[in-house]
Amino acid sequence: MAIMNVNATRMALLTLKKKMASAKRGHKLLKDKQDGLMQKFMEVIREAKKMREEVEEKLGAAFKNFIRAGSLMDSAFLEGALLYSTAKAKIEVKTKNVMSVRIPQFKAEIEGEVVNYSFLQTSGELDIALQSFLKVYPLLIQLAEIEKSAEALADELEKTRRRVNALEYRMIPDLKDTIKFIQMKLGEMERSAVINTMIVKSKIQASA
Amino acid sequence: MDYKIAIMGSREAILGFKALGLEPVYSNDPTKTAEMLFSIKKEKVEVNGESKNKYAIVFVMEDLMEGITSEDYKKLTSDPLPAIIPLPSHLGSTGYGLKKLKLIVEKAVGMDILN
Repeated sequence: MAIMNVNATRMALLTLKKKMASAKRGHKLLKDKQDGLMQKFMEVIREAKKMREEVEEKLGAAFKNFIRAGSLMDSAFLEGALLYSTAKAKIEVKTKNVMSVRIPQFKAEIEGEVVNYSFLQTSGELDIALQSFLKVYPLLIQLAEIEKSAEALADELEKTRRRVNALEYRMIPDLKDTIKFIQMKLGEMERSAVINTMIVKSKIQASA
Repeated sequence: MDYKIAIMGSREAILGFKALGLEPVYSNDPTKTAEMLFSIKKEKVEVNGESKNKYAIVFVMEDLMEGITSEDYKKLTSDPLPAIIPLPSHLGSTGYGLKKLKLIVEKAVGMDILN
């Protein structure tokens, strides 16, 4: 391991020891954060997978209904009928804080009438198709919320993991080695000082 | 504060969603998806002197998502809003959504532990 570029003095030793203490504390905190994030992430990702499979299945069915409606009607009539829709999709967004990750929470509603056209020129299939779209819609919003959370958590997890690893495998061992190096050097200096005094003392005694 | 939801895809695919009141963005060209998403993301509205994103969620048809490079994707999803969510189009699922979930798991855990 590398020894840091410091002077081997008592001052440097003290600052390094302080740094070591905070690095260890930071490491423990980050490790705890990582565990917490991972726990949450596991919950979210399993749900996300379930939701996505469900949405893909239901959306496929809704599209099928819609295509069936489209095939029974003139496309100009179809578009015209849909223009009458007074529906407005509104969405409220709140953010929740999980382990310092901001997770969005969506609350969506549709205002107005979707089925607002004349029944004379449209086929009954269109009603069914729009009903199925309306049914899938809340699922889509939920999916958006969960996938976005999973993404944000994954990002944060990656960052935290890097920090934990940097502390665990680089910062802390380096500090440890440097502290040891300075302690050895100081010990060596102390011993050489003692020996020097002994030599001087014996020389004085010899000349006396 | 109410946000809007946009949906991006070919005309046939998003006609039904338009009826639900989502804002349609028509596109057939996967190579332009990234560009269009960036401009959607940039749209802001002023509320009480604060500028906020206009759209909270952007649903994009899977076939259009294929044209986005991973760098662009990273930039697009770096902020909390909008959430960009791929949806299977009327042509059926291409598996893009599940592939994306797998990538997320790999990024977070280091390996794919789904399934």
